[in-house]
Amino acid sequence: MIELENIEKTYVSGSVATPVLKGISFRVGSGEYVAVMGASGTGKSTLMNILGCLDKPTGGQYRLEGADVTALDDDALSRLRNHKVGFVFQQFHLLDRATALRNVMLPLIYAERYPNDAKQQAEKALAAVGLADRMSYKPSQLSGGQQQRVAIARALITNPHLILADEPTGNLDSRSGTEVLAIFKRLHRDGRTILLVTHNEAVAEHANRIVVLRDGKIAEDRAVTRPRDAEAELAALAKEENR
Amino acid sequence: MNHSRITTEGFRALATHKLRTFFMMAGTIVGIAALTVIVSMGKGTQREVMKRVNAFGTRLIKINAGGGKGYTKPQANVVTLKMEDAEAIRSTITGWDIVTSVAQKHGIPMKAGSRQCEGDVFAVDPDWHEAMEWPAQVGEGIAAEDMATMAHVCVLGTRLAKALFGDENPVGSDILINNVRYRVKGALSDHPASPGGDDENNRAVIPLTTGLRRTFNQNHLTYIRVRMKNVADVPKTAEQIRQLMHERHHISPPETDDFSIVTAKEVAEAARGISGTLTALLVTLATLGLLVGGVVMMNILLISVGERTKEIGLRRAVGATRRAVLLQFLTESLTVTLIGAILGCALGWGVSILLPRYFKVVTVISWEPFALAVLFAVLVGLVFGVQPARRAARLHPVEALR
Repeated sequence: MIELENIEKTYVSGSVATPVLKGISFRVGSGEYVAVMGASGTGKSTLMNILGCLDKPTGGQYRLEGADVTALDDDALSRLRNHKVGFVFQQFHLLDRATALRNVMLPLIYAERYPNDAKQQAEKALAAVGLADRMSYKPSQLSGGQQQRVAIARALITNPHLILADEPTGNLDSRSGTEVLAIFKRLHRDGRTILLVTHNEAVAEHANRIVVLRDGKIAEDRAVTRPRDAEAELAALAKEENR
Repeated sequence: MNHSRITTEGFRALATHKLRTFFMMAGTIVGIAALTVIVSMGKGTQREVMKRVNAFGTRLIKINAGGGKGYTKPQANVVTLKMEDAEAIRSTITGWDIVTSVAQKHGIPMKAGSRQCEGDVFAVDPDWHEAMEWPAQVGEGIAAEDMATMAHVCVLGTRLAKALFGDENPVGSDILINNVRYRVKGALSDHPASPGGDDENNRAVIPLTTGLRRTFNQNHLTYIRVRMKNVADVPKTAEQIRQLMHERHHISPPETDDFSIVTAKEVAEAARGISGTLTALLVTLATLGLLVGGVVMMNILLISVGERTKEIGLRRAVGATRRAVLLQFLTESLTVTLIGAILGCALGWGVSILLPRYFKVVTVISWEPFALAVLFAVLVGLVFGVQPARRAARLHPVEALR
């Protein structure tokens, strides 16, 4: 699915060159659930942007589903982002003035073909994240957890195999965070590849594998023997509340 | 890329930010409205000018007694314009069709039986009827024989005839002009108002010789009318006549003329007055206004690009190409100016209709300025929309999302 070979990213500002990624190589197989960890400033967001085709590396090679991404132009990258990658951001990045439904439909506008049943698809995607009754709400009328779920529905609308989530629980209370992670768990079970960027060990433990970045390099790459199960945790929480 | 979906995004952005959209539109509305009203007024003035020029006659060169510039009137106290001048023009100038001489006096007491009034007396030669294209409607006009015999005959204008004879046919009756008896030999048709707007129907027309020697007791003319065969010869011939008159009246140019020459050009200039230059100035101002409106729109769009950086980044992240972003922002600017232009046209059209009702202006409404205005506005939208749209399209998705 994802093959990174010696990826480098150096920001140049005037005569000062700041290397952020210093040769990163790793592979993510189709259907894997990987958490990328690291303290702030270790380049995990930069890596995420490169993986999501939002940015280009200054060195190395990146192959997404076998195709060399580093050679593509801006338009081709835009198309890739549209149908191969689903983004979930820490700040949700919803359009304030648009309803949940419109927000979810947004990527379809930029799809090669606008589907005739775009609205139905968006409704289905919102229902799948438990927001069937919030479709015509604007972001300001939704809670943080609900907003993030709208963003997940938006990420899923073009049916991408790769979900890239950058601190998706960072702005949420623990209950909402668990809800979001439960959705990721389900997506993982459905066979999607998930890359979760976080600095939070507890969040990372929901993944099957943890890659730790330190100083622009991979410091650690380990499998999680017993990942946490957000669905089970959520069920337990619900039980406690009902008692 | 789905163009219609992306343009819809542009419309939606305008619809959700109504106040911002209105501010962007305001300049275009006012600019276009002003432009269309000014052009309609300009056209109205143009039509008035043409009306007056046509009433004066495009082939006409009028030589008035008394100096002055532009559209002058003859001066009654200048006594230097003579029948000999008319003769000289006939013999030296080529290309004329009719040369006719007139001596006139205003406010002369007239009487027919018990009725009396004041009227104008025009002493003319027999060619006058043809020169003025103003024949006698009833009876006969002034004839060469009347000139030769200095006959006491007259032809009456409609208003004068009505004042002296009511609805009766005046032909064959006698009237007293300044207490001298004249036989009415004809009646003129009703004449439209002069280029200057005067009523020309309150007159008695008599033979020139009779007028000069017997009625007015003078030997100077009021004016000479020269009608040319070709319109194209008028400016050149007017100059030749001016020189001829300078020679005959012994005037060398720094000295002021004792005559003045009026052609359609002077009439048009007088009718246009300052409104010609004023219209040009106003058009310039309105165009500038429209451009300022465009700059204002561009600034608001630039600010909006700044405000919507995150939105643009998000759109780019979910797959919008640079062109898609460009298209959306161009749609916004073009829609603003197009709708602004249409509203401006509606406003301008309304004002063009209402203005003549309350002010002394003439407007002519035609489709051309409106079509041009819309085109111009779209051009403004394009020119001033490109910069913000390009700025939006060039945003780097990563930086925009930060």
